[in-house]
Amino acid sequence: MTDSTKRYERLLERYRNGDVDRRTFLKLMGIAGITAGVTGGPMGWLAREAVAGSPDQLRFDGWGGVVSEAFREYAFRPYTEATGIDVVDGTFGGADEYLARVRSGRPGEFNIAHLSGVFDYARYHSLDLTTTINEDNVPNLQYVIPRLQDPLRAITNGTLSGIPYNYGTTGIAYNRKHISDDEAREKGAQLMIDPAFENRIGGWEEWKTRIWYGALQTGQDPNDIRDMEAVWDAVREHRDLALKYWSSGAELMSLLAEEEIYVTEAWSGRVYALQEQGHDIGYIDPPGGLGWQETLFVIAGSPMEECEELLNFMLEPETAIAVAEGQNYPPALDPQKVDLGDKVPNLPAFDPGGTLEALNFFDPEYWNGHEQEWSAQFSRVQRGY
Amino acid sequence: MTRNASWIAITGVTILVYLLMFAPVAVVMLLSFNDSQFGAFPIEGFSLRWFVALWENEAVLRAFRVSLLLGALTAVISTTLGVLAALAIVRYDFPGKRLVSTALIAPILIPEVVLAVALLLFLRWLGIPRSFVLLLAGHVIFTLPFVILVVQARLVGVRREFEEAALSLGANPIQTFFSVTLPLIMPAVLAGMLFAFTISFDDITGTLFWKPGGVETVPTQIFAMLRHSISPEINALGTVMVVITVVLPLLGLALARRLAARTRM
Amino acid sequence: MSATADRLFDRRPWILLGPALSAVTFLLVIPVCFIVVYSFWLRTAIGTEEVGFHLDNWQLVLTDPFYRDILVQTIRIAVVSTLLCIALGYVPAYFIAYAGARHKLLLILLLMLPFWISYIIRTMSWINILGVSGAVNSALMAVGVIDEPMRMLYNEATVVAGLVHFLLPFMVLNIYVSLDGIDRNLTAAAQSLGCNGWQAFREVTLPLSLPGLAAGSLLCFVLAAGTYITPMILGGPQNAMFANLVFETIITQLNWPLGSALSLVLLVLLGAVVMAYTHFLGLDQIAKSFR
Repeated sequence: MTDSTKRYERLLERYRNGDVDRRTFLKLMGIAGITAGVTGGPMGWLAREAVAGSPDQLRFDGWGGVVSEAFREYAFRPYTEATGIDVVDGTFGGADEYLARVRSGRPGEFNIAHLSGVFDYARYHSLDLTTTINEDNVPNLQYVIPRLQDPLRAITNGTLSGIPYNYGTTGIAYNRKHISDDEAREKGAQLMIDPAFENRIGGWEEWKTRIWYGALQTGQDPNDIRDMEAVWDAVREHRDLALKYWSSGAELMSLLAEEEIYVTEAWSGRVYALQEQGHDIGYIDPPGGLGWQETLFVIAGSPMEECEELLNFMLEPETAIAVAEGQNYPPALDPQKVDLGDKVPNLPAFDPGGTLEALNFFDPEYWNGHEQEWSAQFSRVQRGY
Repeated sequence: MTRNASWIAITGVTILVYLLMFAPVAVVMLLSFNDSQFGAFPIEGFSLRWFVALWENEAVLRAFRVSLLLGALTAVISTTLGVLAALAIVRYDFPGKRLVSTALIAPILIPEVVLAVALLLFLRWLGIPRSFVLLLAGHVIFTLPFVILVVQARLVGVRREFEEAALSLGANPIQTFFSVTLPLIMPAVLAGMLFAFTISFDDITGTLFWKPGGVETVPTQIFAMLRHSISPEINALGTVMVVITVVLPLLGLALARRLAARTRM
Repeated sequence: MSATADRLFDRRPWILLGPALSAVTFLLVIPVCFIVVYSFWLRTAIGTEEVGFHLDNWQLVLTDPFYRDILVQTIRIAVVSTLLCIALGYVPAYFIAYAGARHKLLLILLLMLPFWISYIIRTMSWINILGVSGAVNSALMAVGVIDEPMRMLYNEATVVAGLVHFLLPFMVLNIYVSLDGIDRNLTAAAQSLGCNGWQAFREVTLPLSLPGLAAGSLLCFVLAAGTYITPMILGGPQNAMFANLVFETIITQLNWPLGSALSLVLLVLLGAVVMAYTHFLGLDQIAKSFR
């Protein structure tokens, strides 16, 4: 029997066992594809051969630097020792770029990714890239904060295709030399459209965040915007006052540290890193401030059992804490059930109660529903239209 | 203006331009000795810790080796293809010449992200998986125009009479190329190789899309660090490279000069 | 006899072109055909594509003033950057070409030095040079020229500066390679015929270095027009270039059909520039054959 037929047999067996749902199975067989027109092709058999992914290795993609170092040391190495399966780890620079790679790749090529939030989870779902994790195989799931799982389960009919791993907030960072804590608390989101700080204002170059804060600035519920024109006007107002839209954490930190800007929205962990270095930067989550989570997401076409076992290693508290301390975002583990050590409880956005009730998240249905229109519109508004 | 005065002016302008080119290099080199983690001036304390950390950072060193290998292979292949193509374009007349030379420049006319995605779609259609060879092929494709342009420009200035003389003296075309044409266009060939190597070494977008699992280059490592903060080890790596490429040849030059001076005595 | 000669005449360039052309065909021309097909598809609400023959993307791209304005802005930035590269690059190229042979290699290596520092890092390092607490402001304030730091970053000028810094080595090396190939006896002959140094340069050296100047300019223009990281890092909110739109459309908005149409517009525009260039180079060769 050739290798490819063996793989096919194995795939078929997994389908029969219910490990792969029908939709995925068909896709793996090369019958259906994301881009209906261009799959198949003269050497389609080659693609089909490789789909199941060789079971002797798994592909993980995530943020580089400290995060991948922590994963390698605390999760991948023990996992490989325990199972003999290699973990090939890759990196990406952003969730959007990664999705483009997954879409232009072949099913089974990518297995687990450290993806952002509920929005991307929903996006992968609508592109048929979700799977169903057998939760019995991931005992460490019991420590994961339920509030973070719920929105994911809502998307995938009660099941999970990814497991919450860490969370943080996108609040407002300000330079304490120029803006007092009282002023920041009093003005909240309005601080970012205060003409007094013209050309000292920054902002994240991302349509969801810009619109969220635009909604807060116009006194609306970001998950139920009534007056979209007012929001766009607020976005324009911010744009005209802003010196710079940043597009990465490294840029955000250098803008604040070099005092190019005095106020911007910012990721909680990045501000903590600046404070650790002695920079006098304040940070608040304004009323209605934005929370987010990151998940360890299993991509369609992956060998599920092996992935589940790896997920369990990655959810081991010592791994999760090491990653959290590296990136300064609290792990998704419930502090009521797990001892998170000394540093984690001091991180911004950390909730000792483990309920995360104070945080607001993107409502995936609402935001994914407006994605096409709003992301294209922001691209124009950003450029002065 | 005397000849000397204008040469001094030329030297002055050149030094200014070089200083401009070095400004970011200087910043990065200074920051690599900075004790603090986030690159910010003024420098708070002198430290070699990032060099030590770099030495121990297996991932960055591996990426560095991949980048060097990829760059070197790209330079050799791309220059070979490019020199042959430039010869054809400059030395021969054939139908569709303008179209062909435009097609050869085309890889840098398309935004890289589009070329990257398009190539992947095509390969998926063919059923060919991502591999190091694909990454290499991609790099060859978009360094090719640099080589062709620079070699072409030089070839145009090489008079055909030299080659014709060699041919009339009984050399065959291949001998003529290696003994006459190649030495004459050597500066352009070297420049093309240098272009290809640096472009490949520095490429982000295409590499992001084409790299197979487990392969990282220095730029993709940096790109993935952007979210949190770029580790100063990367600055240290830059410093090491600058030192290797500049200080070593300078030392060699100085040494050679001193040796020469001594033998003269 | 003449038939064989004709055949040889025909075949040889194609043998030389073979490897490069087949690489370009396989890795570029065919993938671009995919792009052309994609540009007639539509993006659906969830981000997948609707297969078919729709002219919507093309209609939008060709009629929307938004795209036209950004395209004009892109060309303006690319032209300005290229002109600055010529202005700043010719003299160093001349210096390298006429410096002692021993120093040439070192000078060229020094020129390429910035490339050892990764593009993102060296682009981001401008904040340490031009920023409010950067080197330039600190120096000027220390000397007492200014009291308040100047705000220099995040506008079109810094985008151009970043581009020029990136492109200058390409310009210098291209010009150098041409200058280096000029027969020194020609300038000497011109001077012996009564030209002064400047006249000899203008009548002999400059025209003979034009192929390199043209190649460098083409490279600079095309690379500048296709860049997206420089405006992203060094530009203000509004300083976008066309490639930023392509990147955003494909990566952020997942609208591959529209992104395909946009990139084809850029391809056609830049392709026309290259066509003009090869035409010019062709004329140049004819001029040379009269020499």
